[in-house]
Amino acid sequence: MRPNAKLLDDLTAAGLTGRGGAAFSTGIKVRAAFRNRADLIVNACDGEIGASKDAVVVAAHLDELIRGAELVAPHYRQRVLFAAHRGSPTLAQLADARLEVLAVPHRYVSSEASALVSLAQGGLGRPFAKRVDPVDGGRDSTGRRVHPTVVLNAETVWRVAQIAQHGPGWFRARGTHAEPGPRLATVTGYLSRPTVVETEAGVPLRELLDAAGGLPGDARSVLIGGLGGAFLTADEALGVRWSTDDLRRYGAALGPGVVTVLDPTRCPLDIVGEFLDYAAGETAGQCGPCMFGLPAVATAWRQLRRSGSDAALGELRRHLGLLPGRGACAFPTGVARFGTSALRVFAGHVEQHRAGACSYRREAAHAHA
Amino acid sequence: MTSELLWYASRATGVASIVLLTAIVVLGTLLSGRRARPATAAVRTALHRWLSLGMVVFLVVHIVTAVSEGFVKIGWLAVVVPFVSGWQPGWVGLGALAVDLMVALLVTSWLRPRLPERAWRAVHWAAYALWPLALVHGLMLGTANEPVLRGVTIACAAAGASFVAWRSLSSPADRNRRRDVLAGEWS
Repeated sequence: MRPNAKLLDDLTAAGLTGRGGAAFSTGIKVRAAFRNRADLIVNACDGEIGASKDAVVVAAHLDELIRGAELVAPHYRQRVLFAAHRGSPTLAQLADARLEVLAVPHRYVSSEASALVSLAQGGLGRPFAKRVDPVDGGRDSTGRRVHPTVVLNAETVWRVAQIAQHGPGWFRARGTHAEPGPRLATVTGYLSRPTVVETEAGVPLRELLDAAGGLPGDARSVLIGGLGGAFLTADEALGVRWSTDDLRRYGAALGPGVVTVLDPTRCPLDIVGEFLDYAAGETAGQCGPCMFGLPAVATAWRQLRRSGSDAALGELRRHLGLLPGRGACAFPTGVARFGTSALRVFAGHVEQHRAGACSYRREAAHAHA
Repeated sequence: MTSELLWYASRATGVASIVLLTAIVVLGTLLSGRRARPATAAVRTALHRWLSLGMVVFLVVHIVTAVSEGFVKIGWLAVVVPFVSGWQPGWVGLGALAVDLMVALLVTSWLRPRLPERAWRAVHWAAYALWPLALVHGLMLGTANEPVLRGVTIACAAAGASFVAWRSLSSPADRNRRRDVLAGEWS
């Protein structure tokens, strides 16, 4: 059996999926990459808010990462690029290892797969519509032909090397049937020891939080998956398993493996508002639902924070409802998921704002006096 | 007698075509750049499309009657090939060019769901050449000795030109927002 075919069989048997958040079958992507002799971009951007697992892969597992990249792009004519944010320690480590690097601008959507492809061929770091998957070529948003390119998350590439070495059985021994294998999680936010842990799908979320010092008693909510994710109350977080099957009832998924505990000393509507203001500023200005919809959502959220009125709530829901599934990338869909789940988890606090009595503001005023 | 009737029919449908074409162009300028509220834009889009198809009917009658009338020799070839008409080859040729562009616009709009948006858009820009070609064709041939008809054509030219000018001078929200966003760091 040719080594290529063996790797594809192993990846398929292992059930490895992309660890950047989309969880697409890596075996299918690598098969297409072989077929097209595609270039490879290893995405070590940690693009999701709070994520730092790609940095750990580069810092602690660079040899295996490089071996994984060689397995996916074995031909000398297949260009391999390692992408990380400009000025980041990760980019410096990759450059020091004499790897060809792609310095990615500090924009939320610039670490999306097609944005990296566009940047790699001299364009802007903005996503384009994937009528044809970039692994098969197609054209970018300026109409330029795309050289077939496969984009894989750094952790995914590292797992490819591990599966090639230890076999799919080793891989499947961890995780759930639907989400097999070891995986990294970034556990961050209002915790005593924020960390990146190697864990697996299906463990109690409490276990992840314990690895970072445990969920503080005053914590009230946890964000799973960053700006493209969803909120859980502290009680929900302590009772749920960390798997997409279990998180689905809260609108969440494993995604890129980020768990963020919110600061309970600040008004959650302020925190969510900051996320949404940031999102509104990160649109690439290409698709209408994104370039107009995200600022509209941020404005409606500010209105809700001020008044808590039904009118503001209705306007916010209307704008959130217009986003899912639209645009060239999943950014608007993710922000809609984020905003909708914030409304669910913080509904009680919205009532306080409606009554003009946010408990956090009162405490702050108290502290001043 | 028959021939004269054909001549009148050709005149009438020609003028109707230019009026409709101008309305279509005006609607087109109003549609560009996402300036209208979605509900308004939907009505305008529908009008733009249905008037275009309606105009084709008038145009076909205009062409068929003009060629078959027989008092002057135009020839069927001159309908699509510019500057080969036996009579007024120049001005008839402008009409033929307009017909060619219109066929391109119709076919690409028909196939729009199957074409790259970019390709459809590139061809659709030809509307801005089509409309003046048709106007000059009408002005120089059909309405030369008929003040009312000539007045209609000139009114069409004035109305269309002012909307085209408005379209190119006003800056729609899309363009402004895209420009603002592009000013950020993207590479």
